Amino acid sequence: MKNLLLILLTFISLTAFSQAKLTTTSGHIKFFSSTPAEDIEANNYKVISNLTPTTGAIVFSVPMQSFEFEKALMQKHYNSSKFLDTKKFPKSKFNGTISNMADIDLSTDGSYEAKVTGELTIHGVTKKIQENLQLTVSNGKVTGQTSFDIALADYGVVFAKGKPSTNIAKTVKATVNLDFNK
Amino acid sequence: MKSKLVKIIVALVVIGLIYVGYMWFMPHRDIQSTKAFKTIGATALVNEFLTDKESANQLYLDTEGESKVLIVSGTIAAISTDQLGQQVILLKDSDEKMGVSCTFTLETNAQTSNLAQGSNIRVKGVLRSGAEYDEDLVLTENVILEKCSIEK
Repeated sequence: MKNLLLILLTFISLTAFSQAKLTTTSGHIKFFSSTPAEDIEANNYKVISNLTPTTGAIVFSVPMQSFEFEKALMQKHYNSSKFLDTKKFPKSKFNGTISNMADIDLSTDGSYEAKVTGELTIHGVTKKIQENLQLTVSNGKVTGQTSFDIALADYGVVFAKGKPSTNIAKTVKATVNLDFNK
Repeated sequence: MKSKLVKIIVALVVIGLIYVGYMWFMPHRDIQSTKAFKTIGATALVNEFLTDKESANQLYLDTEGESKVLIVSGTIAAISTDQLGQQVILLKDSDEKMGVSCTFTLETNAQTSNLAQGSNIRVKGVLRSGAEYDEDLVLTENVILEKCSIEK
């Protein structure tokens, strides 16, 4: 009887463990813009993300003022109302699901290609996106890596003339590194 | 007459170059030497955002990203390191859901070496974003303070 109880308890705690939500508050996102005039890179180490393995639900929140640029003036431009308007829109968010979660076993070491679909909100504009997220499980620790292009005009970030229109690419590349449950 | 014109043109070019140089090499804002806007407790700051997000954003955030520099006092709930190797200290009262996440810099990291969970400290840093509980996303988001240093 005692053993049965023990087995039952172990089973319950294992189930609880496998259902636990994966979280991080220290994800890294980098964006990179390349034009003949110059290359611009910005880094942000404050990405929050939750991943619920049972449902495949995945969310992100990015504090927009945490992007650091090499040049102070670029950083000011990026934050200003002409660009990302980070005072009005201090956070960018993604809310989506992993459609092939059934093929992904986060309790076993390995590398999995997650197909993520959902809604990305930047600069107050929400768009449906579909991207792949590489999930890697190593010694039980889960990390996520993805890289995708963002067309700035899709999110209402446009600059018709002047230096920014020649020095900032119309499409920037975003690279995300997530360190879950750290 | 001609030499005067040349002098003026040369002067204008020099001024132009100095201006471009200044824009190009404009130093990043020095948070440590910036006077703090105010001193506030971690939970009080969190609650300002939870009560009225719009007015808190209006008060603390700056249009060009040069948001308010604050001194936040609180209890250390967690100490961690981010992907760049910067120390991150969470100031949060034990009975609260959210607190203030303070990211130090590679230069100020050393100031955190003798700190332990449970002790009370004061941290100076620049506010990047406010606290939020997003019901749809089931996300609890701490206040984010960066470029931090320990305030004695």
